[in-house]
Amino acid sequence: MREKEITKLKDYKYGFTTDIENIRAPKGLNKEVIKFISKAKKEPKWMLDWRMKAYERFKNLKEPNWQKPKYPKIDYQDIYYYSAPKSTSENPKNLDELDPKLLETYKKLGIPLQEQQRLNGIAVDAVFDSVSVATTFKDKLNEVGVIFCPISEAIKKHPELVRKYLGSVIPLTDHYFATLNSAVFTDGSFVYIPPGVRCPMELSTYFRINASQTGQFERTLIIADKGSYVSYLEGCTAPMRDENQLHAANVELIALDDAEIKYSTVQNWYPGDEDGKGGIYNFVTKRGLCKGINSKISWTQVETGSAITWKYPSCILQGDNSIGEFYSIAITNNHQKADTGTKMIHLGKNTKSKIISKGISAGFSDMTYRGLVDISFKAKNSTNYTQCDSLLMGNKCGAHTIPYIKNKNPESNIAHEATTSKISEEQLYYCQQRGLNPEEAVGLIVNGFCKEVLQQLPMEFAVEAQKLVGISLEGSVG
Amino acid sequence: MLKIKNLKADIENKSILNNFNLEIKPGEVHAIMGPNGSGKSTLSNILSGKKGYDVSGEILFENKNLFELETEERAHKGIFLAFQYPLEIPGVNTNIFLKTSLNAIRKARGEKQLDAIEFLKLVKLKAKDLKFDEEKLNRQLNVGFSGGEKKKNEILQMSILNPKLSILDETDSGLDIDALKIVADGVNSLRKKDNSFLIITHYQRLLDYIKPDYVHVLMNGKIIKSGGPELALELENKGYENFN
Amino acid sequence: MEEQLKIDFEKLLENSNFSKKNVELKRKNFDNFIKKGFPNRREENWKFSDLNQIISKNIKNLSFYNDLSKPNKIDQSIFIDGLEHNKLVFVNGKIEKIEFDYEEKNKIEILDDLVLEKFNDVNNSLLFLNNAFVSNYFKLTVKKNYALQKPLIIYNITNKDLVSKNVNLKVDIMLEENSSLKLIEFSNDKSTTNFININYNFDLQKNSILKNYKIDNNSNSNIKYYFNNISQDTNSVSEIFLLSSGSEFIKNEINCNLNGIYASAFVNGVFMLNETKHHEIKTNINHLVENTKSYQLIKSVLDDTSKAVYQGKIFVDSKAQKTDGYQLSKAILLNDNTEFNAKPELEIYADDVKCSHGSSSGSLNEESIFYLMSRGLNYKEAKKLLINGFLLDVVEKITDSEIKNLIKNIMSLKQ
Repeated sequence: MREKEITKLKDYKYGFTTDIENIRAPKGLNKEVIKFISKAKKEPKWMLDWRMKAYERFKNLKEPNWQKPKYPKIDYQDIYYYSAPKSTSENPKNLDELDPKLLETYKKLGIPLQEQQRLNGIAVDAVFDSVSVATTFKDKLNEVGVIFCPISEAIKKHPELVRKYLGSVIPLTDHYFATLNSAVFTDGSFVYIPPGVRCPMELSTYFRINASQTGQFERTLIIADKGSYVSYLEGCTAPMRDENQLHAANVELIALDDAEIKYSTVQNWYPGDEDGKGGIYNFVTKRGLCKGINSKISWTQVETGSAITWKYPSCILQGDNSIGEFYSIAITNNHQKADTGTKMIHLGKNTKSKIISKGISAGFSDMTYRGLVDISFKAKNSTNYTQCDSLLMGNKCGAHTIPYIKNKNPESNIAHEATTSKISEEQLYYCQQRGLNPEEAVGLIVNGFCKEVLQQLPMEFAVEAQKLVGISLEGSVG
Repeated sequence: MLKIKNLKADIENKSILNNFNLEIKPGEVHAIMGPNGSGKSTLSNILSGKKGYDVSGEILFENKNLFELETEERAHKGIFLAFQYPLEIPGVNTNIFLKTSLNAIRKARGEKQLDAIEFLKLVKLKAKDLKFDEEKLNRQLNVGFSGGEKKKNEILQMSILNPKLSILDETDSGLDIDALKIVADGVNSLRKKDNSFLIITHYQRLLDYIKPDYVHVLMNGKIIKSGGPELALELENKGYENFN
Repeated sequence: MEEQLKIDFEKLLENSNFSKKNVELKRKNFDNFIKKGFPNRREENWKFSDLNQIISKNIKNLSFYNDLSKPNKIDQSIFIDGLEHNKLVFVNGKIEKIEFDYEEKNKIEILDDLVLEKFNDVNNSLLFLNNAFVSNYFKLTVKKNYALQKPLIIYNITNKDLVSKNVNLKVDIMLEENSSLKLIEFSNDKSTTNFININYNFDLQKNSILKNYKIDNNSNSNIKYYFNNISQDTNSVSEIFLLSSGSEFIKNEINCNLNGIYASAFVNGVFMLNETKHHEIKTNINHLVENTKSYQLIKSVLDDTSKAVYQGKIFVDSKAQKTDGYQLSKAILLNDNTEFNAKPELEIYADDVKCSHGSSSGSLNEESIFYLMSRGLNYKEAKKLLINGFLLDVVEKITDSEIKNLIKNIMSLKQ
């Protein structure tokens, strides 16, 4: 039988760069740069003090090295910590004031901001390099009291909320990259949902790293007040560059009594080329605090991009009866590496958590699920269910499952299941007999494998994610 | 339509089929009967291009050498295999699977792709004909289906993909009499002057409902006798043991 | 402690007749141990059991030199009745009896004064300690094609004379082609607060079968570490059963390399813990070639303030296609102050494999208790019956029926 031609990996669709004039802070990390950022953002003094405190702490921290994906040493003095499109150095009042090139960029990314403005649907905050460039639908959200704005704006306009909650879930001193972020974060989204309000639309942020040699350190803070609900989406892309770029974001979620936050991510940062050159280092700290009783936080992530992904969206289940969920699809191909998972810390009574993780590795890539389920002695009658499945394609890649399970409560139950396998030849044959070529067949079977997670995503994202799953594995079927 | 000449098939140096010959013309229904291990399933796997066999000889399908075609290309040309043990594919919705298959085949044939609405209309129609519970089509492919439902699902797929040559690999085994009739009706409704069938079975029971034009007896990897429908009855009376 | 170590090490060298090369190797190991010290929780392997802390909390004035010149009396009453067996008896770390009454003499070889062959630079400080201080290094070889008629029981006895000592034992067991051995390791401790450090190296050649049952059942205040290194050639089988129950602390580490095709390894274990006991099982099953199989089942029943840890790892090399790896741990927590920690880990580099692990922990099923009570049992009886059933499942995995019954008796399990 004839040899099947292997199609080349499709070019990264988002790999273009945009030629926009930037204002940058001087390269490197020092007090002056932090002052520069704070000044550029016209921040109040308390914010600068906070950053300085983080920086002092950061100087004494050591870079961690326990994670599986190792990376060449990062020279933290060789990074631009602030880069902003020149045209937005004064915050634009509305979309018409935006640099047309920027609008063009977002159009290429499939996020036509102007149309978003008109069409009903999703409110978007677009973060370009270090600053938030446009937030749509502000007026409509204002009507119900929802605050959705760049965090730099929130620091000025809603200091009481920011001061109360910023760093309350990820403390200043938490760990190396989170502390770095606290010192130098530039922008990101801020969301506040008032008591009893169900946010009338999906909120969404698109992150884009454009400038070279630039780190992106955004900070997102979402507060769902008593009895409120919000669904929030983030998407990420970056141009193709030979160098590795660092992305170290912090995301904090706070759910008060009876509130629910659903946070979805489709991460498609540039993964590097076929030989593993270039790509984003995605070192992100995401943590949610179920502070109130009956609160719920649900993380859904589809991780297909980045050269190295290293993140553990976590839930601290502090309120009694609170619920934490983590649904994840992580795909690595070529030379990508991912070490991802979650932590579920059960502190309150009757708390529940659920973890569904689907990992797929192909090419020369390496994938690790790492997770912690910790049921403290006070968390009576709590339960956790974990299901981790891995799929391997070829024998040059690796799949690892490292769950840490701690149970200190006899009235609580933890169940963990994990499997590793490959796509069965029989299933492939069956699909091919029905006319599908091997790549289509694999795409279909893999999407089936990921189904439980995909169906957690809001409709618009689910379709995009499904395509992404297919594209990410192209070239991996021999 | 299908010409098999001197087909020899080995698996891990064990001979399964040897000097196997068969010709099926358009519109004909052939039945192959044989005991366990006679090579029946191997034949259907080789026709649809399953890997893992060492084959020699020649198989022409509409004058094209099948050995040069991948499994899916054979499906595009109109070969359909109703599996003896239909596979479960977790997470994959049956309708989506069917639509993807149908459109892959239509695309290969240069036909227009069906959109969701056209497709659902077609499925509805066919499901009704086969008394197939439509709700099941929204479930994961074959997951949690009973044996009979899986087989009926195969026939439903067959009727939607509308193949030229349908191979039914022991589709009757495990079916109760009602399901058997439905399967037979499905096959009979597809019988046209251009469509051919190869029905592989142990028992002649199915042949009460689907009248074959020819019956072949397969033993030890080759056809030892061919004849009309009466041969199936003879076989049923005598049993394979005493047939030689 | 460093001071004590140095004094005791020199004392050991003074009072023994180690060869020059052996002394050199022992010094190397000693230096390495001094450098690394007892492992603590900063090492991933010891994350759940900080040995350094456990030793300093439980043992006052630990010393490392053991005078083995005087013979010890063997308390015959602890020998297992009703099972004919061969014996190796260690008392306080000194060999006191070697008895193979049931076997053909030329089929078994015992060397009792082995020399460390080479410096083994593994990252395990307790092996350094063992190599530095071990006095007698044993090797048992079962010759080609020989299957022992009767099980061998290694008695590890400590008596009242042993207090706050570090005892090191090292035994190599070689099973030549087509041979087989049933080995029971039976601990009996009347001593107090010692640190016992035992290293077994099993070499299983083609088609050989090892059945190894480790029983630590009588309550004592010792701290124990077992490092079991198993190397398996083609078609060999190892079956390990652990009853981890009696000592204050035990960590049983099993490193198993499946080097030959069709080799298979079975690890089954039971933790039955009460009071302040803290036990751990850590496995590394390395599937290095194709068509190998491993199976692990660990069950725990924890009471009072006890703590159990299971760290199980299945590693599958990229060459090891068609690997079948399975791992399951289940724990029942009977008391508010118990703790169960698990880290079941898969590290897989081959695609045509079937690997899975599962872990669950929680309370006894109240509904089942209710069901049994509705049939007339009281709460205590119902609970006992359920625990019985829960553990029986693991014991049933033991393939030797005589030994299975022995272990059921020891655990007082009912059918």
